[in-house]
Amino acid sequence: MNQNINQTIPINDPFGKASNGKLGMWLLIIVDGLSFAGLLIAGASLRASASSWPAAGEILDIPLTAFNTFLLICTSFTMVMALSSIQKGDQGGLKKYLAYTMAGGLLFLGIQAWEYYHFIHNGFLINSSMYASIFYVTTGFHGLHVLSGVIYIGCILWAASKGRYSANDWDHVEILGLFWHFVDLVWILVFTIIYLI
Amino acid sequence: MENHKSLYIKNAIWLAILTFLEIEVSYLSISRTGQIVLLMAFAVTKMLLVAWIYMHVRYETKALKWVIFIPIPAGILFTVALMYDIPFRWVV
Repeated sequence: MNQNINQTIPINDPFGKASNGKLGMWLLIIVDGLSFAGLLIAGASLRASASSWPAAGEILDIPLTAFNTFLLICTSFTMVMALSSIQKGDQGGLKKYLAYTMAGGLLFLGIQAWEYYHFIHNGFLINSSMYASIFYVTTGFHGLHVLSGVIYIGCILWAASKGRYSANDWDHVEILGLFWHFVDLVWILVFTIIYLI
Repeated sequence: MENHKSLYIKNAIWLAILTFLEIEVSYLSISRTGQIVLLMAFAVTKMLLVAWIYMHVRYETKALKWVIFIPIPAGILFTVALMYDIPFRWVV
């Protein structure tokens, strides 16, 4: 049964050596990408019909969020290093880089929570304006993805601590990496459209 | 497996530089259209760098690359087309 789950598509297949799990994650990424696209397009449409709109940085804290963006870029680097480590059979490197990625994700969430706290404290609520609704729904949806990613990393880190992965068995780490990089990739667009434009 | 650490570091540095440039562009006093075009160009470049280098899309087969890159722009175009179609919707 377990062998069937981990079955790899034959090498002459159009998708090469990609496992079923990896193809499944790509499918999830495409669907999730379309969900984010729907939110951003809806936001752009509402904005186009609005009579006034705050300028970039008028309400939102751009330097703080730029730091958060930089943080996510760093976690993408640590995540790819985690995969690179286990591909070379370095279990210690895998655990170290996964822990760094998890810490970066938690720090990102902490900064986002701090940002939300200050906005709410200053009366910038989800129902304050159309602008506020778009901001909270889009960044909140992304924040939930970061939270899911952090929990996902925790599960893989726990399995790694039990010696589950090796130089010949790193498929789960690669699949986790795809999800985490997607979270970074989407944030790039969210940051540009919500904060800068 | 090859050691790509320097490539990954260079990619992270480029992503950070592009983020910095994006912030600078958002404060530039140029036309609104020019600003949006520049910001979106930087964002798409960063997204491609993440996908191509960190997500290892460059190592995937041609079929998988098509599967990855076609649906999202196609979905976005379809949504925009539907939005333009809204004024012509039938009212029952």
